[in-house]
Amino acid sequence: MIAFVLRRLAVAIPTLLLLIVFSFALMHLAPGGPFTAERALPPQVLANLEAKYGLNDPLWKQIWNYLYGIVVHFDFGPSFVYPDRTVNQLIAAGFPVTLTYGALSFVAAVVVGVSLGAVAAIRQNSWVDYLAVGISIGAQVLPNFVMAPLLVLVLTLWYGLLPGGGWSFSDPSFWIMPVIALATSYMASIARITRSAMLEVLGSNHIRTARAKGMPEHRVILRHALKPALLPVISYLGPVFVSMITGSVVIDIYFSTGGIGKAFVDSALNRDYAVMMGVTILVGSLTILFNLIVDVLYAWIDPKIRY
Amino acid sequence: MTKLFTTTALLAALSLPAYAVEVAEGDTLAENQTYTYWLLDAIKSLDPAKNTDVEGSDVLRSLFEGLMNEDAAGNMIPGVAESHEISEDQLTYTFTLRDANWSNGDPVTAGDFVYAWQRVVNPETASEYAWYIELMNIENATQIIAGDATPDQLGVRAIDDKTLEVKLTTPTPYFLNTLSHATTYPVPQAVVEEHGDAWTQPANLVGNGAFTLASHNLGVDIVLNKNPEYWDADNVVMETVRGVTVNDNNVALTRYQAGELDRVQIPAGQFPRLKEEFPEQAVSVPYGCSYAYVMNVSDKGPEALKDVRVRQALALGLNREVIVDQVLQGGQEPSYSWTHWAINGFAAPEGGMKDMPMPERQEKAKELLAEAGYGPDNPLKLSLQYNTDDSHRLLAIAAQQFWRPLGIEIELNNVEWKVHTDRLQSQDFELARYAWCADYNEASTFLDWFRTDGYNSGKWSNEEYDQLLAEARTAEDTTPLYQRAEEILAEEAPAVFVYHYAKVDMINPAIKGLPRENLLNTWYAKDLYRAAE
Repeated sequence: MIAFVLRRLAVAIPTLLLLIVFSFALMHLAPGGPFTAERALPPQVLANLEAKYGLNDPLWKQIWNYLYGIVVHFDFGPSFVYPDRTVNQLIAAGFPVTLTYGALSFVAAVVVGVSLGAVAAIRQNSWVDYLAVGISIGAQVLPNFVMAPLLVLVLTLWYGLLPGGGWSFSDPSFWIMPVIALATSYMASIARITRSAMLEVLGSNHIRTARAKGMPEHRVILRHALKPALLPVISYLGPVFVSMITGSVVIDIYFSTGGIGKAFVDSALNRDYAVMMGVTILVGSLTILFNLIVDVLYAWIDPKIRY
Repeated sequence: MTKLFTTTALLAALSLPAYAVEVAEGDTLAENQTYTYWLLDAIKSLDPAKNTDVEGSDVLRSLFEGLMNEDAAGNMIPGVAESHEISEDQLTYTFTLRDANWSNGDPVTAGDFVYAWQRVVNPETASEYAWYIELMNIENATQIIAGDATPDQLGVRAIDDKTLEVKLTTPTPYFLNTLSHATTYPVPQAVVEEHGDAWTQPANLVGNGAFTLASHNLGVDIVLNKNPEYWDADNVVMETVRGVTVNDNNVALTRYQAGELDRVQIPAGQFPRLKEEFPEQAVSVPYGCSYAYVMNVSDKGPEALKDVRVRQALALGLNREVIVDQVLQGGQEPSYSWTHWAINGFAAPEGGMKDMPMPERQEKAKELLAEAGYGPDNPLKLSLQYNTDDSHRLLAIAAQQFWRPLGIEIELNNVEWKVHTDRLQSQDFELARYAWCADYNEASTFLDWFRTDGYNSGKWSNEEYDQLLAEARTAEDTTPLYQRAEEILAEEAPAVFVYHYAKVDMINPAIKGLPRENLLNTWYAKDLYRAAE
């Protein structure tokens, strides 16, 4: 197991390097640059800006300097569009916000989704099942960019219960709407996956055996059914967790959370090269890390899996 | 003699007391003096030398103060400069500064302006707005930006702590109007040098404006508090100013209606409904930008657009009234001139196509196209490029429909913003959407765009036009020159002018003092107050 983890970590480094080089090159291939604006800059001003940020160096040198800065100083460079801030500062300001509402949404989606799916499967074809399936289909078809403005309309304008947007780490009332909007559709997918996996497990031989030997039903469900039923859920959760904690541009736009999802999209549109690279590396590293964690969890849940 | 008169008149105007809050009769002040307004996006920089945004300027105007301010109608009034003198040749301006302090208690000196302006043109600062100092025609600005002179050679010096002298390369009628712009604000040298790029963070920032920076959560909100060190603090009523970022205009409107915001832009197309429902709150005022479809007449452009008859036909065939009344619906004005109709001292030339009824215009357009060899049997094919935005798309579709009956087939070409600007600047387009906003309230801010060496993305060039604008720089009466320039634009049609902007907002009626007649929407939080309801 440890050898497996080490091996995977060793592969992660060239993977990240490739990601950096490819993204860097792709980004520079896109037309326009960070300083392309409606009002064309005088060539001399543009030259001064490019000199300041090293954009007139050959591409290989820019990549080299960039990697050098990261490896030696853990410095992801300056933002071209937010000249008062460095990429490190921008990520340090935005990522904790995204991590908070992302992780909360994840927990909410998993707890509600798994319960809903499991209950539906246990009471298959009863009204509980129909209700659960109904809820999850409803939640699935309601995209978050529709849900978000609806939440603001109802909870802020009509009932005045929650602030319509913004962020505060000390006041949970700011967290509620982003979490609902982000968690809903994931919750629906988790419920559906859990339900179908659970149905399959409940029909299998070992459950029949467990029931036949007189094991109480709650133990059958919790010990013998739920655990194997969670396998497909977990393989789905790895990438979902990463995408939730690395931000949702929709949540950031509608709730003005200051999170990193919008920063990422903006950096691409603004050609804010360093910010875009910084977030790409962050998302890339987290993806690699959580895929690894999922693989390890697999082995723990299913003893048949060996590495 | 006339010049002497101008100088004296200006001096007289400047010795008037500065504009301060006047609480209207019958108004009582609210307990809570907070103004919360909407920001579409995060504030990118609070460094006057690096700010490039309108939203950033709105904040900087509260944190800093330049030599001049603007009143509610956009007239220049004293800021840090108490008075000034202009030399006979109009090349030297001497400003006398008032006693004012930085928010840390240090006095504001002429040297602070010298440092700030030198910093803007210094290539090491790499200011995107370094061109603004060039626009002001300050001596050596161009050479310094190019690296051919050192920043200390800039034509600005402190004669003593309270006297600032500025030397220009050429008489510049709009020079005083440039002095309320954020790029010209003084910055505290010691603070900038101590903290580097981080000097604009809330803990470090020192300004000379009516407010100080309390907090700045990027993409969430920015909060300013009243500055007790401000020289006119006794006349500042507002205690707190909060800019709240909401990236979606419709959600922002919902939050306005929930009472979270005092001012928000009205999303496209919703003005008539809101005006009817909330006549007190829905406000539309002229705003100094013009919208046009620029035609590429350069070598890289299509052959057809080099023919003035084709360009004329395009200009004639577009029904601006329908665009303004049916599509935009926010009090915008159809445009037949490039200069915004409300620009100070500007009068559009009489006559021309705006007096022709639409059917007549269409007939004329068809005739011109036929002469040029195009018509329904041999349609003219052009592409119209615009950047991603709902209202640009709607307008482009409308234009496509207006031009189709003339025998012009428009292919819509929607590209992302950076691609759009990149192609505009490299003449890689046929027709392209464009908008220009005034830098200052005088017609040359628009007309300069079409000069041969202006921004002029379509690369149109006309000798007489260039000549007229050169003359206007020193002319006593610019009106006939500007009118003739607009006539040339109408005859030559280097672009199809579409409409003049309006600023269309919901404003909480309790908030008083927001300017309604300032074309550039230059507002000062120090002039606002909240009336009790």
